[in-house]
Amino acid sequence: MKLSMGPQHPVTSHFRFILDVDGDAVLNFEWDVGYTHRGIEKMAENRIYIQNIPVVERINSYCDAIGTTLGYVEVVEELTGIEIPERAKYLRVIAAELNRIASHLYAVSLVGISAGFETMLMWTINDRELILDLLVKLSGQRITYTYPTIGGVRWDMPDGFKEDALKRLDYLEKRLEDYYKMMAWNRTFQMRFKNVGILKPSDAVKLGIVGPNLRASGVKADVRKDEPYEVYDRFDFEVPTGKNGDSFDRASMRLKEIEQSIVILRQALKDIPKGPIKGSPKGSKIPPTAPRGEAYSRVESARGEFGYYLVSDGKSKPYRLKISTPSFRNLPALPHLCRNVPLGDIPVIFITFDYIPLDVDR
Amino acid sequence: MEDRVVEDVKASFPDDVLEIDVQRRGRVSISVKRDRIYDVGLFLRDKLGFDHIASVSGVDYIDKKEFEVVYHAWSIDKKILAALRTRIPRDNPVLKSLVDVWEGALYHERETWEMFGIKFEGHPNLSLLLLPEDWEGIPPLRKDFILPKRPQE
Amino acid sequence: MLSKVRERLMNIKFLRRILNWGRAWSLWSVHLETGCCGPEDMGRACARFDTERFGTLPFPTLRECDLLFITGLVTKKMAKRVRMIYDQMPDPKYVIAIGECAATGGFYWDSYSVVQGVDRVIPVDVYVPGCPPRPEAWIQGIKMLQEKIKKEGIDEK
Ligand code: SF4
Repeated sequence: MKLSMGPQHPVTSHFRFILDVDGDAVLNFEWDVGYTHRGIEKMAENRIYIQNIPVVERINSYCDAIGTTLGYVEVVEELTGIEIPERAKYLRVIAAELNRIASHLYAVSLVGISAGFETMLMWTINDRELILDLLVKLSGQRITYTYPTIGGVRWDMPDGFKEDALKRLDYLEKRLEDYYKMMAWNRTFQMRFKNVGILKPSDAVKLGIVGPNLRASGVKADVRKDEPYEVYDRFDFEVPTGKNGDSFDRASMRLKEIEQSIVILRQALKDIPKGPIKGSPKGSKIPPTAPRGEAYSRVESARGEFGYYLVSDGKSKPYRLKISTPSFRNLPALPHLCRNVPLGDIPVIFITFDYIPLDVDR
Repeated sequence: MEDRVVEDVKASFPDDVLEIDVQRRGRVSISVKRDRIYDVGLFLRDKLGFDHIASVSGVDYIDKKEFEVVYHAWSIDKKILAALRTRIPRDNPVLKSLVDVWEGALYHERETWEMFGIKFEGHPNLSLLLLPEDWEGIPPLRKDFILPKRPQE
Repeated sequence: MLSKVRERLMNIKFLRRILNWGRAWSLWSVHLETGCCGPEDMGRACARFDTERFGTLPFPTLRECDLLFITGLVTKKMAKRVRMIYDQMPDPKYVIAIGECAATGGFYWDSYSVVQGVDRVIPVDVYVPGCPPRPEAWIQGIKMLQEKIKKEGIDEK
């Protein structure tokens, strides 16, 4: 029997699944995506480089806007050869890590609600507000920050930001303990999530899975370590990996990453140098065109690796901008895992992959 | 590291590689003949360890009446990104599918098919993925599909 | 017979007011996210902004809901589903369009797959501008809808 789930469904949000079910067992899983396809790659060809920053941000303004814009800004900078000031690099790292925490908290809240832990939803979303407040101070917006710009960042840190941030991070670190207690060390939770949807490391690599989902399977791959961009090579942090690659590992991976983000943030806030925040001290002097050529930039956003492939023909608009998004690259995982599993496990497996529909569809 | 990759590919496919160079640290670009892309892909995966597919992109060079298809593959232990590319004529856009090489290319190729109309031979399921079910007309990412301009322009 | 009695009763201003008051304070909203204004849906429903104070409770089954938030852009593929979902909701039903995209297509004026304004698909009661609107703006939208409901069927002159 064919069963259609979504797009109006408490778990799937904008996705639709087409499932072949036999009684309670799911035999085959098929995606039906595209409910939020906007044609951003085409729209990018219709706009000049700097106008494209907010456009590409809408790919994943859902949760991780900084990670998304950072990749685009970097690929343009690589092609045009713009150097950015030290302070801007640090500010980018700070914003990106704050956003990563916010995004992971959002992901954890979804994990909670899919398993019926409403408390987890309320706690994490509430703590996410603390981080959003910091980002509001930095950029003036709650979700769509448009913070990194070509040649630097848009705004400097306001006064008292550092102290405020450190205080909030301390609080969050204490709260993490609670989350572990509620989630990772909770028997009910473990029963629901352990040994469900096991993704083997070899399969994960073969299918091209990225980000925390790949690391949960035990593969150590993180763009921040492998190919450090900005100033990530100056910080001392670890890349957590999971053991079994099951749903439980994927869910708790997010908490472990928040821990590491706090570590990075503390160092970045301590070391941040003084100086300008944009390419030239007099204001932005961004060349309106990029030279002929191509570039590919990789950025580790909260959901995994973003790839921007930019081809320029020397004009003021991109000739082709291909965006390879983490959720899109994670798509093959579910049809692979959802064979002969009980129907009730589908939401659990789905939610731990942390798919964002806008990210898939672009 | 990058030079080793270049040498290895050159040595194994002396006639089929049209252009190969190191773009910068960690970026290798390999341009091959259309009918040998499958073998080069297999060689990259098995012998050189480029096992993690990153993206498949089409580029429409309408002036030259050609499409370019670019496969980006990442090597987890070498930490190099290889761009495997080939050109196909615009009036006969057919290419052998690389799904057997990189299973993760499944959705990427499907997307390239619907956005450019490039047919991947041997792909298990070429059907609309992102576009509305009743999409008609030319694939949207081709250059002759033109979006509206701003009114004042 | 019954419907006639109902109509009569509804014409009594006092009863109508009570009914409207009840409706205005128990708007249950469907969970349908269509665009990137989506995460604020979570923000407004959870502890900090808590729209349950105004009786707006997010609810998974659309058959029991009477409020539909259109969170941002609606694509052509989604538009059909939005219409379907709207038709399935029981009367009376209300729609709040969140974000520029839901109002006019906003950001995606040149996109080939975005519907330029959700009011081409379903009727809209309240528009909330912003990209995305802050949760406070959502709350204001809800309050405006409540005002509208309270005036329903009553000639204020
Ligand atoms: S109004 Fe802005 S945030 Fe909302 S859906 Fe449109 S682009 Fe996204």
